[in-house]
Amino acid sequence: MVAFVIRRLIGLVFVLFAITVITFLIFFATPGVDPARQFAGRNPSHATVVAVRHQLGLDRPLPVQYALMMKRLFISRDLVSYGNQALEVVPAIKAATPVTLSLVIGAAVIWIVFSILVGLLAVVFKGTLIDPLLMILALIGISMPVFWLGEVANLLTQDRLHDTVRFSWVPPLGYVGFTANPWQWFLHLIIPWLTLSVLYIGFYARVLRADLLDVQNADYIRTARAKGLTPQNVLIKHMLRTSMITFVSLFGLDFAVLVGGGALLTEVVFGLPGVGLLTYHSLNGLDLPVIMATVLYGAFFIAIMSAIVDVVYARLDPRVRLS
Amino acid sequence: MAEFAFGPDEDVVLAPGEAAQQIAGKSPWRLAGRRLARDRVALGAFALFLLIFLVCLSAPLYAHHLAHTVVFGSNLNGTTTVNGKTVQVIQQGGGKLGIGENPIGPTWHANYFIGSDTTGRDVMARVLYGGRVSLGIGIGSAAICCLFAMVLALLAGFFRGATDAVLSRVMDLIWAFPVYLLAISLATVLLSQTHPIINPASLWIPTLIIAIVYIPYVYRPVRGQVLSTREKEYVEAAVSQGASNRRLMFNEILPNILSTVIVLFPLMIATTILTESALSFLGIGVQSPHASWGTIIQDGQDLLYTRPWVAIAPGIMIVLTVLSLNVLGDGLRDALDPRAKIRAKE
Amino acid sequence: MVKRLVSFPAAVLVVAVLVSGCGGSKKSTSQPSGNKGGTLITLANAAPSGSPDPQVNYTLQEWQFLIITHDGLVGFAHAGGKQGTKLVPDLATSIPSPTNGGKTWKFTLRSGIKFSNGQTLTGKDVKATFERLFKIGDSPNAGTWYNAIQGGDACVKTPKSCDLSKGIVVNGNTVTFHLAKPDAEFLDQLALPFAFILPASTPAKNLNIPPPGTGPYKWVEYAPTKEMKVVRNPYFKEWSKDAQPAGNPDTIVQKFGLSVESEVTQVENGQADFLANSDQIPADRLNELSNKHASQVHIQTLTATYYFALNTRIPPFNNLKARQAVNYAADRNALVKIYGGPKLNTPTCQVLPPQFPGYTAYCPYTKNPGSGKWTAPDLAKAKQLVQQSGTKGATVKVNTDTTPADKSLGEYFITLLNSLGYNAKPQFLSNSIQYPFIQNSKNKVEFAFSDWFQDYPAASDFLNILLGCGSFHPNSDSSPNIAAFCNKGIQAKMDQASTTGVTDPTAANHIWAQVDHEVTDQAPWVAMFNPKQLNLVSPRLKGYLWSPQWYLLLDQASVK
Repeated sequence: MVAFVIRRLIGLVFVLFAITVITFLIFFATPGVDPARQFAGRNPSHATVVAVRHQLGLDRPLPVQYALMMKRLFISRDLVSYGNQALEVVPAIKAATPVTLSLVIGAAVIWIVFSILVGLLAVVFKGTLIDPLLMILALIGISMPVFWLGEVANLLTQDRLHDTVRFSWVPPLGYVGFTANPWQWFLHLIIPWLTLSVLYIGFYARVLRADLLDVQNADYIRTARAKGLTPQNVLIKHMLRTSMITFVSLFGLDFAVLVGGGALLTEVVFGLPGVGLLTYHSLNGLDLPVIMATVLYGAFFIAIMSAIVDVVYARLDPRVRLS
Repeated sequence: MAEFAFGPDEDVVLAPGEAAQQIAGKSPWRLAGRRLARDRVALGAFALFLLIFLVCLSAPLYAHHLAHTVVFGSNLNGTTTVNGKTVQVIQQGGGKLGIGENPIGPTWHANYFIGSDTTGRDVMARVLYGGRVSLGIGIGSAAICCLFAMVLALLAGFFRGATDAVLSRVMDLIWAFPVYLLAISLATVLLSQTHPIINPASLWIPTLIIAIVYIPYVYRPVRGQVLSTREKEYVEAAVSQGASNRRLMFNEILPNILSTVIVLFPLMIATTILTESALSFLGIGVQSPHASWGTIIQDGQDLLYTRPWVAIAPGIMIVLTVLSLNVLGDGLRDALDPRAKIRAKE
Repeated sequence: MVKRLVSFPAAVLVVAVLVSGCGGSKKSTSQPSGNKGGTLITLANAAPSGSPDPQVNYTLQEWQFLIITHDGLVGFAHAGGKQGTKLVPDLATSIPSPTNGGKTWKFTLRSGIKFSNGQTLTGKDVKATFERLFKIGDSPNAGTWYNAIQGGDACVKTPKSCDLSKGIVVNGNTVTFHLAKPDAEFLDQLALPFAFILPASTPAKNLNIPPPGTGPYKWVEYAPTKEMKVVRNPYFKEWSKDAQPAGNPDTIVQKFGLSVESEVTQVENGQADFLANSDQIPADRLNELSNKHASQVHIQTLTATYYFALNTRIPPFNNLKARQAVNYAADRNALVKIYGGPKLNTPTCQVLPPQFPGYTAYCPYTKNPGSGKWTAPDLAKAKQLVQQSGTKGATVKVNTDTTPADKSLGEYFITLLNSLGYNAKPQFLSNSIQYPFIQNSKNKVEFAFSDWFQDYPAASDFLNILLGCGSFHPNSDSSPNIAAFCNKGIQAKMDQASTTGVTDPTAANHIWAQVDHEVTDQAPWVAMFNPKQLNLVSPRLKGYLWSPQWYLLLDQASVK
């Protein structure tokens, strides 16, 4: 086990390093984009542009620039945005993270609860109309682009149905910190939570249902039934537990991807100032330090999370360790 | 697949008195085909997809012969007929201040069926043209992705050793990079070339980017299949017969992984369509002068509260297309892997 | 002196917060305001771009705050209407007349003015401020405006050791400027935030928050992801109601990060008082504003022009007839639709905007010209001119930024140029790279979108900066003369107008008007329209005062 963990960690470090190099190359070694020009602001004189280029170290060779950027990002943590020199990148990401976490954790809670519910119901009511109905709904959920669903939700809750009792409580788009006003924090996040979770409820309900059915014919389940355990007991204590292995490992990855910036579309549509929105703004402004930092942050988070998932999975399933 | 030449639901009935004769085996593909033919839901989904495909393909017919409208290019001063009267397609706002210019809403007639966008173009016609682009990029990138992934997985799984190590590490790297972030980074950078090497408006840019970022998704399961098939007895048998590498790869292993790829293909198309629409929505997918469902949703953002159909219509098309592909994918999986079918049908 | 206008991408308009002077002064045209106190809450989607340092920042979004935290020797009156375009003495006791052929300006500082850190203002601070302009290295106009001061050119070459002892002579509270050559716009340039006086002790490097100033407010917070805030300066005592009136609110804050849609909702509902003009109000809310919140909307004329620059040095638009053809063909009414309709935009054919010094209405590129107003395109004439020019079939890259409205402008022209027989293609670049890209001649852009808002009210700020021979720098990202236009005869007239302006501004404006017409005849641009500005304020806001120079005067509004 230890050997496996060590191997995994070494692999992780290598992957992280490679990601930083690839990201740097993508953004700084592509011809045509001149970072110095942006940093110099509007209408600088030619001399100013040259001075800024030197100040940023952009006239040095690429490996030096790479080292400088990594140092500024990780060691001295004083990397500064090209769009606004007062914007320090690392604190900006730190400030944006709670927003993304609020969004993703809330949605995750909702989707876990509902996907387990839907998956179980589909299995329990297999053979009746309820099963295919739930599965069609699940499929529709997977088939909706999340940003479009968010726009439709906005259309209904902010505008069309806003004056009805049902939706008059919906606050304007944006985010309110939990420490500032917990109730407003909650209200602002409900619709985004529901929108984001729809996709995942559909996906996980199907996965769970498939796994449960897979396990249904296993010998040990037959034994449990033969022992006289109630169907609920069999379902929840025995079948669900085994099926959760896949569920958990998939969940780990999806959660990591979302926190790492995958919730970008939801944040853009609902105006939530999380890491995803920060990435989006920096993309529009070609703000290379911020883009680099957010991309790296996302990639790191996912790589680390997937390493953790691998280790946990290996713990649960010895065959994986030995491969 | 070879082990399932006689499927569990094969009806083999001997006439009374007839001696057991040589029973003609049916190829697994034929069997799969028959199973698929009986799956009405999957067939329905396929029919829906085909319908959408054909309707979008006929976009020029719609635009020129049915609707007689402007689809591309600017049409700010255009007019149309509503209730017998000629009206401007873009009209000055009312109220006390008279600010703003509003495109007309749905006329529910052939001309400007669901209204106009901010430049005076017929949205319904654009949705159809956009479908050609979205479907084209979706199918194209899924095909490229599956093809490359299959070939690479075949090579990696078959030759193992250094080939496998290098390929799999590269795939891990692409896999480790968050899909959206990689796609977004590549797209942003390629679109901001100030001295373009590749034309930034080319549809190949989103197609190739999306194809590349999803290769690991297909590569991994296929490589797993190759590795396990490699160990099977009939492959060993072929080796002992002195089969060349090429024959082993193409005659023994390839047919077995083909089913995995075939099941994955419609699911990948669904994924690529969703990814392309997301990138286009963010502004880094399909570029002017082309339109896709994603770009039309982006156009509709500015009009969301006054002309919601501009944003809603392309979304509905996406949902229907992706839904039909998902159902089809399910059906293919059930047809090609009867083990799965037993599980699912019980 | 080369003047550049602050050029904003289309979606960035200045946030104008209404700040009205408190009480009516005999000269300013302010309306009766409300009471003092309270917090004025303004919203902006993002913090002002660029460095927050007052000598570097070039955004009107930040300037609106800087004018109430800092002062220059002279300033534009904090008033509305024509009064707001006039220069009044601010830190100086009076506006001097220059001597020595316009090269020597002697100012006397008012006594007893204190910075927000308690220090008293003296002549030393003035000299240090101007030296700092060069020392920090990245002030945009140091080398183009302020190098008129003797010693300025040397300071551009060796900024760190900048010494302006010859150019700025300090004698207690008397400060004398010695210029290398006369400059008709010297006073205007002293009135902009680059030249606002800072304490001599201010470090000579870019600051992350503006330093102490002499205005009625002082900076307490500048967090680009959260908000920027100013509060009352305890050391401020009003010395001139015109130049720097005491403010009404106790605190003025601008919060960042909300989407523009929700900003509009918040201001409509009164949860915030003003929406920064740097945020374009979305088109789908205009109806709602017009119908339900008309009383909260103020529409102001801007001195700005939106145009497409025709590259006069490469085919096909190095041909005068081709340029004129596009001008005749452009349907300015259609273009106006893209930007919100005729109530928010006025079609134009010429460079200078209306109500600007040197402006007289002139439009040759219309059906039935002669009235000075544009009425309708003349497609027949356009096609004829294209034929005569022999440029049919030429490839034209139509370059705009990626804001939806600007892309629509580009798409309109692509369709138009194609109908005229050219081969037009789109080239839409991200906002942050489009403006420098189109300035650089090596990119060979034939047809590029741009806009220009005044720096200060002087005709040369438009004509000389954007179309003067000296503003074209080949192969440089910083060449505001995007059309690469250089006409010897017209340039001579511009120079003549600049020189005349030192002594006789009225005569100079006559010459500038002629320059404007002659340049328009040469058609280096397709001038499209002059935009108006939509200001959305909360129901509780009183004392809305809008200056043509600084737009909404934040501290003259009241919220109580």
